[in-house]
Amino acid sequence: MNREKILKNIKEKFKGDIIELFDKSPKRVYIEIKPQTIVKVASYIFKDLGARFNIASGVDTRFNIEILYHFTIEDINLLISLRVKLPKDNLEIDSLVKVFEGANWIEREIHELLGVKFKGHPDLRRLLLPDEWPEGVYPLRADYKEWDNNAIRDRGV
Amino acid sequence: MSFKLKALLKSPWVFHLSTGSCNNCDIEVLDCLTPRFDVERFGMLLAPSIKHADVLLITGSCNRKSAERLKRLYEQAPKPILVVAIGECSLSRGMFMQSYNCPIPLDKIIPVDVYIPGCPPKPEAIIAGVVKLIEKIKSKTKKK
Repeated sequence: MNREKILKNIKEKFKGDIIELFDKSPKRVYIEIKPQTIVKVASYIFKDLGARFNIASGVDTRFNIEILYHFTIEDINLLISLRVKLPKDNLEIDSLVKVFEGANWIEREIHELLGVKFKGHPDLRRLLLPDEWPEGVYPLRADYKEWDNNAIRDRGV
Repeated sequence: MSFKLKALLKSPWVFHLSTGSCNNCDIEVLDCLTPRFDVERFGMLLAPSIKHADVLLITGSCNRKSAERLKRLYEQAPKPILVVAIGECSLSRGMFMQSYNCPIPLDKIIPVDVYIPGCPPKPEAIIAGVVKLIEKIKSKTKKK
């Protein structure tokens, strides 16, 4: 399948789920979808289109937290980024671990750094933060405040 | 103490620890050890274990997890041990000063003998720092 056909198929198949399809460049497409439909769309792209799951990235955009799932279809050199916007008062999304195992650790990392809850994740422990880190403090949020009173924040000159 | 220091001056064995650096300083340290800059002419060898080492080279900004490991390593090291901080990150944490994961600079965790600034420091700078370290100990031992 070529690029136009793939995008047309996605558009037709998920008509009600796609909020916006932004065709940025020949190599890159951003597809914004509704958060409830992530498993459906991601498994279509992963299983039926044969894409490779690169990584997911989380961004705090003041009112929402955005998660971008990046997929590459290597035969046609196309990078599809599925964008999901979660409102800050309801940070929950279905986990993709059941579709592909590669989502396991990156979901754990987004969970501890941004505080997104992944429903159905088998093992939502901490991945990178130390043990003494307090519960409910998320360092990559925009409103993160220093909690450690022993921290030294000057160069001592 | 001074006798021990004098003894290790002839051939200080170096243990290299990266406490979460970007690996650029580590590459420069590696450059020093290879034939082009050849720090071995001062008798320096890379020790495989901290228990064999006389000098502890530290690169990188100490983050919350590696700071604990650093303390543990320092406790295991045979004393007297000389600590050399290499690169801006281990001197003052550089651009990671406000980072949530780098609360305390290196010299507030363990005592540091020589600071080598730069991002990354050139191999020449590292060699100069090392020579200064040797000079420093020599002058110390002479006085006593």
